[in-house]
Amino acid sequence: MKKLIVASVGVVAALALSSCSGTGGDAGPSTELNVYAWADEIPQTVFDAFTEETGIAVNVDNFDSNETMISKLAAGNSGYDIVEPSQYAVQQLVGQELLEPLDKSKIEGIDNLAPKFADPSYDPGLQYSVPWVWGTTGLLYNAACTGGEEITSWTSLFDPKWKGKINMLDNMLAAYIAGLQVNGYGADSTDEAEIAKATESLIEQKPLLSGYNSTNYGELVASGDVCISEAWGGTSTAKIVEQNPDVHYVLPEEGGSLWVDGLSIAKGAPHQDAAYEFINFLLRPEIAAMATNDGGLASANAAAQEHVTDQGLLSNAAVYASDEQVANADFIVDPGKAMRFYQDGWTRVKAS
Amino acid sequence: MTATTRAIHLGRQEKPKRGSLLLLIPGIASVVLLGVLPLFIVARNSFAVADDYGGITDGLTFENYAKLLDPVYSKTLLFSLGLGLLNTVVCLVIGYLTSYYIVSRPTNRQGFLLLLVIIPFWTDFLVRTFAWITILGSGGPIAGILGIFGIAGFSVIPSNLAVVLGLLYSFLPTAIFPIYASMRSIDPSLKEAATDLGASWWGVHRRVILPLSSPGILGAALLTFIPTMGVFVIPVLLGGGKDPLVGNLIVTLYTEFRNQPMGAAVSMVLLVLMLASMALVGLALKRSSTKRATTKKTEA
Repeated sequence: MKKLIVASVGVVAALALSSCSGTGGDAGPSTELNVYAWADEIPQTVFDAFTEETGIAVNVDNFDSNETMISKLAAGNSGYDIVEPSQYAVQQLVGQELLEPLDKSKIEGIDNLAPKFADPSYDPGLQYSVPWVWGTTGLLYNAACTGGEEITSWTSLFDPKWKGKINMLDNMLAAYIAGLQVNGYGADSTDEAEIAKATESLIEQKPLLSGYNSTNYGELVASGDVCISEAWGGTSTAKIVEQNPDVHYVLPEEGGSLWVDGLSIAKGAPHQDAAYEFINFLLRPEIAAMATNDGGLASANAAAQEHVTDQGLLSNAAVYASDEQVANADFIVDPGKAMRFYQDGWTRVKAS
Repeated sequence: MTATTRAIHLGRQEKPKRGSLLLLIPGIASVVLLGVLPLFIVARNSFAVADDYGGITDGLTFENYAKLLDPVYSKTLLFSLGLGLLNTVVCLVIGYLTSYYIVSRPTNRQGFLLLLVIIPFWTDFLVRTFAWITILGSGGPIAGILGIFGIAGFSVIPSNLAVVLGLLYSFLPTAIFPIYASMRSIDPSLKEAATDLGASWWGVHRRVILPLSSPGILGAALLTFIPTMGVFVIPVLLGGGKDPLVGNLIVTLYTEFRNQPMGAAVSMVLLVLMLASMALVGLALKRSSTKRATTKKTEA
């Protein structure tokens, strides 16, 4: 038995070693690229166009949360070249040394980015990431359900008037955006007392809720099971707003928040030359516009806007929120040491 | 008659050959690599210290377990245990009745009935859960029928009732099969004899069929109770996510909270609870079989 275990461990070790030696060593230009991205955020048409132009084959894997992506990279030997972290995930990946710093001399077209993404707080000087798509966290409501009343503020999510008809996103950081801003604090607070106050508000809010749901909240609002929901802007929300004239997406007057998913190069990426080529390709205005045309998302690339075929999307708040609307919005950044206050609070909210 | 029983009858034990040991290697390797090894890693991590970025630093601490004493965690744990027990009891009662029905059908019909029980497994678990949203939700058939009678806006979702229904639906087949298997081996003449001797329907079940199918019932109890504790999709989709189960707690700790050691500690507590329940069932089985053996002896 002991011998068997030793033998099987040996076999596995040998396999692991042989797969490692296969990736390094070749000096010529790469013929493939491994991308790990959010599902549907980089449309297939973009990959196809890239392969057609460069001859580089692209292998794509998808993730559905930053946390999944981070743990896969942290496990090591992921083999990915390009990853697509959200803003706070960039900070976490940099903290864990899982990203390669970008060599700006190899990047062309970074001036195409919209000014608000040129020097973001989560990655000053864009040392590790190039913004690709962005969106907002706001309110989704069904006017037929609210009796025609317009919803403009987070306070509606805490209003007993809508008891049993309110949904919150089942996500700690998202829930605290509303909890903090309704109390007049910034959504990126790291202050223990402010977070404690937000926790209190969220606990008081819980009996009013239909539930915490970040999976099919759009359908719940569209069907009227829920009147008002905290919501992420983006493809699925935009679709529901488009299909149902009663459903509206707004950024709350308290500000709401901004998210942005960008392109980064994973530490020890085996095909770095191809990775830079891919980033440059995605910075081209006509390619960046495909994120909106084929993916239904807002591109971080200002020059791309004239290439958007459905110009109506540029004024659809669920896709392109206007500059005035996002003026008060906070970037959700990594809370760092304050994470503990959020976690303790959220555990209490969930158990209450 | 199987090979081993024949060997025993011949009075000697066949020695396993070298070749058959080799055939075992893939099985043993996958159990060790995919089951035992990860378990050890989780056990080790439950005593580790988390760093700020979701990684694990070396170190040895009991703090992760100490923190679980906080009432916020015990509340989730107790709620899960309660829901798990409720689901097990309901599954066993309905599973027992269903199995009894299937067993009492003609043999050639039983296969078809079992097939009907299996069919839902051909569809993905998540898809079936979404189907329940449609069935129980405000746009579904139940709401439609009630709408005819003037009850508008009826929706079971989200509620804990919907969670119980979803759990029952998911785990009923796993309760039916073990009970059916042990019921099928009960000699039908025992039931006839009991009836002839004047036992009522209830008496036949309580004194004959229930005791004889108890191994299957205990097995079914394990197969429903243990997985129920780990469920995390149903409470979110059907229950509105307001009352998390242990499964939800573990997912949150591992992903959102980036606190692997705490997540590992909760997992270990759950594992110990499951092992304890398995040991209890094992004991119960042993007791019932020795009891049967002794009664047989006294009868003889």
